[in-house]
Amino acid sequence: MTEEFNKTENKTKQLRPGLWQTVNERYPGSMITKSDYVTLAELKKPLSESRLTFVSTAGLQPKGSLPFDTVHPVGDYTFRRVPSNSKPSDLEIHQLKYPTFGAERDLNVIFPIERLQELQTEGFIGELAPNFFSFIGYNMDAEMLERTLAEDIAEAVEAEGSDVALLSPA
Amino acid sequence: MQRALERRGIPTVSITVALDVTEHIKPPRAVFLPFMMGHHFGVTFHKELQRRIIIEALDFLTVAEQSGDVKMLPIKWSQARQEGKLIEKQLRLKN
Repeated sequence: MTEEFNKTENKTKQLRPGLWQTVNERYPGSMITKSDYVTLAELKKPLSESRLTFVSTAGLQPKGSLPFDTVHPVGDYTFRRVPSNSKPSDLEIHQLKYPTFGAERDLNVIFPIERLQELQTEGFIGELAPNFFSFIGYNMDAEMLERTLAEDIAEAVEAEGSDVALLSPA
Repeated sequence: MQRALERRGIPTVSITVALDVTEHIKPPRAVFLPFMMGHHFGVTFHKELQRRIIIEALDFLTVAEQSGDVKMLPIKWSQARQEGKLIEKQLRLKN
């Protein structure tokens, strides 16, 4: 994105402009800034033959699993596996940092598990990985998140043989 | 998170509603929607929109050329809300 784009489009097109700056002013160092880009991994097969996983910071978890620690001052660096064949009624949300008025009535607005199941049934996606992955976005130590949680989830995704990943930073 | 997956050879695409954050973290591929936080896939019971957003994002896996590319989807939040209200009205009529 160009500088010109940042100055104009950015401020008008999103509903909460200034998010990065505001959070970083209140909690210095909690927001990552990267100066480089990672090399793109290649899609090895068509989507209709690929195994897909979904990774979300929605704080979603199976009912009965240990709730995320939403009030810990530095955050919760653990993740939960969410079986991809779950029904919305099997799941619940533990987080404090985004509006859940939509998700409370239809989970698919933040964790579109039913739409992904339908796309698998239709053959648009080859198959869903056994598990999706979820954690909370409230993590104040960005460096630790990158070093631990991100690697832990990536390892778990790889272990399930996923070919592609859809992500939703809530 | 996306970087850790890409380094393991797994292509990724994310849905973002916060462009300024995206600009700072420079994910490999992202799709932007001007939606409210917590509503990345649209509005309640709007199955077609939820589905479309997933498909647009997955399609971007095959067409993104450069790391850092952001696809802007031409859908407004106000439009999504209006469509959602209509759908809910119809659902109530059915029940």
